[in-house]
Amino acid sequence: MTDQGPGADKNSNRQEVFISPTGAPMNVVQMAEGPQPQDFEVSLESLNQWQIAWRRFKRHRLAVVGTGIFGVMILLAIFGPIIWPYDRLALKPVTHSGGNPPGWMQNPRTLADPFGTDNGGRSVFILTVNGARLSMLIGIGTTVIAVTIGVVVGSFAGFFGGRIDGLLMRFVDFMLTIPFLFVILVMARFFGAGDPIVLTLIFGLLFWPGLARLVRALFLSLREQDFVQAARAVGVSDTRITFRHILPNALGPIIVSATLLVASAIVTEAFVSFLNFGLKATDLSWGNALASSQQYQIVGNWWWAFFPGMAIALTVTAINFMGDGLRDALDPRSRE
Amino acid sequence: MIKFIIRRSLGLVPLLLLVVVFSFLLMKAAPGGPEAQFQGNKKISQVQIDAWLKRWCLQPTDANTPILEQVGNYFVEFGGWFGILNCNRSGSQAFFSDSGGLNVLPPALGGGSNGVIHGDLGYGIQSGRPVTEIIAERIPATFILAFTALVLWVSIAIVLGVYAAIHRYSLFDQTVTFLSYIFYSLPTFWLGLNLIFIFGVALRWFPTGGIITTRDWSPFNTPQYWQQFGANPGAATLDIGRHLFLPVLTLVAVNIAGDSRFVRASMLESINQDYVRTARAKGLRNRVVVGKHALRNAMLPVVTNVALEIPFLFSGAIVTETIFNWPGMGRLFIDSIGGKDYFVIMGLLLVTAIITLFANLIADVVYAIVDPRIRYD
Repeated sequence: MTDQGPGADKNSNRQEVFISPTGAPMNVVQMAEGPQPQDFEVSLESLNQWQIAWRRFKRHRLAVVGTGIFGVMILLAIFGPIIWPYDRLALKPVTHSGGNPPGWMQNPRTLADPFGTDNGGRSVFILTVNGARLSMLIGIGTTVIAVTIGVVVGSFAGFFGGRIDGLLMRFVDFMLTIPFLFVILVMARFFGAGDPIVLTLIFGLLFWPGLARLVRALFLSLREQDFVQAARAVGVSDTRITFRHILPNALGPIIVSATLLVASAIVTEAFVSFLNFGLKATDLSWGNALASSQQYQIVGNWWWAFFPGMAIALTVTAINFMGDGLRDALDPRSRE
Repeated sequence: MIKFIIRRSLGLVPLLLLVVVFSFLLMKAAPGGPEAQFQGNKKISQVQIDAWLKRWCLQPTDANTPILEQVGNYFVEFGGWFGILNCNRSGSQAFFSDSGGLNVLPPALGGGSNGVIHGDLGYGIQSGRPVTEIIAERIPATFILAFTALVLWVSIAIVLGVYAAIHRYSLFDQTVTFLSYIFYSLPTFWLGLNLIFIFGVALRWFPTGGIITTRDWSPFNTPQYWQQFGANPGAATLDIGRHLFLPVLTLVAVNIAGDSRFVRASMLESINQDYVRTARAKGLRNRVVVGKHALRNAMLPVVTNVALEIPFLFSGAIVTETIFNWPGMGRLFIDSIGGKDYFVIMGLLLVTAIITLFANLIADVVYAIVDPRIRYD
């Protein structure tokens, strides 16, 4: 039948797993509303849509590894700063001066400072762990805002069509025309004021158009499908159709692109902070670490930039693999 | 076809207008605004400031100005910036140019010469030179970097993608797929920084930044430089090439990843088509089947994709030009934001938006030309 993602109604879910004894398609009204009689099913193994998705997801080994890495990063972001608190003023005395790089910027060789130290003798490991919190928060916060706006705008446009659709989509066109990175930099510099919350808002307000377009396309195709027609025929309200029938079916692709949004928000934050247009220099984030380390790289301190950058790269790669696995699991048709 | 191009171009006009309004509002909403920047610049005399404020129809506003009057002032300022109003005149006379025609019209028809619509983007606050001039002199550097990278990454991506598609699931295919995932996720600027460290600082093979060796040559893109270039073209090209290596490597490494996946997917789709099977059934040699039947059709979406990537070249340029200190438009943009050089920022926003819109248009047109199945009218 018509299922694109998991969720939907309990009834339309079953469609993929169970067949009616006669092999005939189920009654459309039953699918749209009302419980499905249990004895109607010939069940070989009872799996709901999420369990099927989880099976497909597990088959993508890199995605599982990616999810693990992402989970570790989240844990680090939450508990890392408690276990390894960062102290800006904990400067280590200069052990020996001169040399290239200067001696107080230790190579990554001791157990105490596995990632080496920065220009104040502070551990880059602790810096990296503490940077995770803001980077992750901004990445996830941006996604929450962008997905909310994108889903609202996209579903309005897709569900109602006509003039509302035309107006909203012209606006999306326009948002996609303005050079994204340019506007982000200008807004971060002029309105950001180094505040992580404002920065998240700015990102969220600029990240949604692509998602709105996707949601609209999903709504356009879903609202013409039989189960929605059936729901409408039995007099289900617009709101209920949107939230109970269409949105759950559109959930798969939305989750996939939300996952990928987290990755690009993290990279964008790092880049904006790297250019000193983002967070305050005293805030700890991976991008800020790269910004302050850049000038010392020329004199030979590669580890100060390398490890926070590695954290970004690792997180983003992990998220991208995870997104790929989710796409296989939730949205199998979009594949090649 | 011509009708289609004209119709699409006309469709761009409202979008462009929106971009103009948007960039204007962005600048007006920014704290301080151009006036504060003029005031704070010690290099500019009060007479010059007054002349410029007048030229831009900038209205003196402060906290005590009533809201309605402020909104009115915005319209006047926008009119001046856009070129609808003639700032030398006041009242309803402002709609007419000094020569008496409507100010919006081109100068040849009696219009004015100020404003975006007449190609006048204003003056840089830092340097006091026309914005069009400031931007134009940065174009060659950006162009050299962006198009060297584009040509390289597209051709390599096509070779990799096609080869991976023909030998699907081979070791080569899996390696390319895996590497492209990794490189796709690497933040461009971090990759660039590491390349600078490896090849510039540790190995000292390539310069760490800039477009030319400053002690051997005059500043890039000055008349003196081109004189030296003319006198010794080989050495000059080699010098630029050495400086190009790292930024191009960064751009290519990151962009190959996505594109080779795209080519591979497109090639796979085309290989599985019926006409390819027919060609094989006719007994054509594998090279002919792959090269003529599959490849040509697989290239259709790739061509569009490349056209759509052109605008990203310029956003990508912001990243690479910043870390490699490349004197192009991206670098200019970062410097202008840092110095709150409003008119340069607005000019660059506008130029990039125009490039984006035209790239989209070109993508559509090229697609219509190369794919006879597409009918646009």
